[in-house]
Amino acid sequence: MERQVVILLHNAIEATGMQRLILDAFGITAHQANGIGELLQLPADAIDLVVTDAQHFLENLKVFLPRKARTLVVVDRPVQGDGDVNLIDIRQDTDQALAVLSQFLGEKEEENNQPNVLSGREIDVLRLVASGMINKQIADTLNISINTVLTHRKNITAKLGIKSVSGLTFYAMMNGIIDPK
Amino acid sequence: MNNLTLIHHDTKLSDIVIAEPTALTVLNRFGIYLGLGDLTVARACDNLGIDKDFLATILNTYLHESYFPERILASFKAATIVDYLGQTNNYYAQFQLPNIERHFNLLISKSNPDNNNLELMLRFFHEMKQQLLARIADDRNHWFPAILQAEAKASVSPPTPLKGEYPVLNTHCTPPLQGGLGEQNKVQEPEDTIEDKLGDLISMMVIHLQGDHDSNLALAVLMALANLKKDITQNNRIRNRLLLPIYQVLSKA
Repeated sequence: MERQVVILLHNAIEATGMQRLILDAFGITAHQANGIGELLQLPADAIDLVVTDAQHFLENLKVFLPRKARTLVVVDRPVQGDGDVNLIDIRQDTDQALAVLSQFLGEKEEENNQPNVLSGREIDVLRLVASGMINKQIADTLNISINTVLTHRKNITAKLGIKSVSGLTFYAMMNGIIDPK
Repeated sequence: MNNLTLIHHDTKLSDIVIAEPTALTVLNRFGIYLGLGDLTVARACDNLGIDKDFLATILNTYLHESYFPERILASFKAATIVDYLGQTNNYYAQFQLPNIERHFNLLISKSNPDNNNLELMLRFFHEMKQQLLARIADDRNHWFPAILQAEAKASVSPPTPLKGEYPVLNTHCTPPLQGGLGEQNKVQEPEDTIEDKLGDLISMMVIHLQGDHDSNLALAVLMALANLKKDITQNNRIRNRLLLPIYQVLSKA
């Protein structure tokens, strides 16, 4: 089941950028909430992660403190803290930001126990590799960046131990991801 | 991957083969066979009439992944390496590839016909085989004749570097030479290498093979694939670190 992510940020550009980053890297369509009221209407248990800013967080401590383990606060300057609140610094480069997001949105525990199980997005990429597309075409088809395609391909190779296009194609046939020609 | 130290003129061939039996395939291609006695590299070379440094360099390049020859002497005859690699190619085409195919077919015949895993792996093997045979044909028809022609021309009017030793090119940066002349000039996404495909086939068998199968035959296929991959990897070092630099100098003569 796809994980539920809600973005609650005052800055619409940051919100859209965060939504795009999460979609590209994790294949999850995050929901942009219009204010704290909309967040409160959603069942708390169903939300895997809320990405918000310091202003929303501080103005709504009663909402966020009980769910702080599943809340990520966007900051744009160094913040002194005791590490109790999860922070993501938007001045970081994409890789660092993805590393933080991966702590919440990376593979789930049961998938980590099966290292050669591909995520849904990785299967999408594998299907397109096996159909003969090059990285640029895959990026365009899935509406993601080439860097994200490369990251998915690296993860696929690490999980399967297969790196050639031909090898991936035959693996896809063996596992019903594409029809054997 | 082996316990061998670097090979010198006084190294006994028997010590080399006991430490790393695959070295015998190299010696065989130079006409040296089992029953090695106390034969050293130097004495074997005297018997064969080849340069002592040459055989030591060939063996070190073959056996040690991190070995890059410090000197490639003018006495290293390209024709001798071409002959060696030609025999290697024949061994692949006439023995190793048919051997793997025979075992693969036997494995499939004794496995559950409802399981298409092994048949798809055999198709993948056929694809790799065609790529390897194409490389062998390219060697035989283009690259090797071009090297021999350049060496013959250089023997008449040697290029400056041939007066002592070849300059050691920056072989660390030399792209792997999978094919012959044609493949070097391709400007496109790199093709999957033969080694990559063999590695993938091995991964498929080890990690992803499903269904009932004859475990002894599966082991035979796996060992044959692993031996071929190892041999190709080791001989690619001779192609890329020895023959290619020599050819690059000769072709400028």
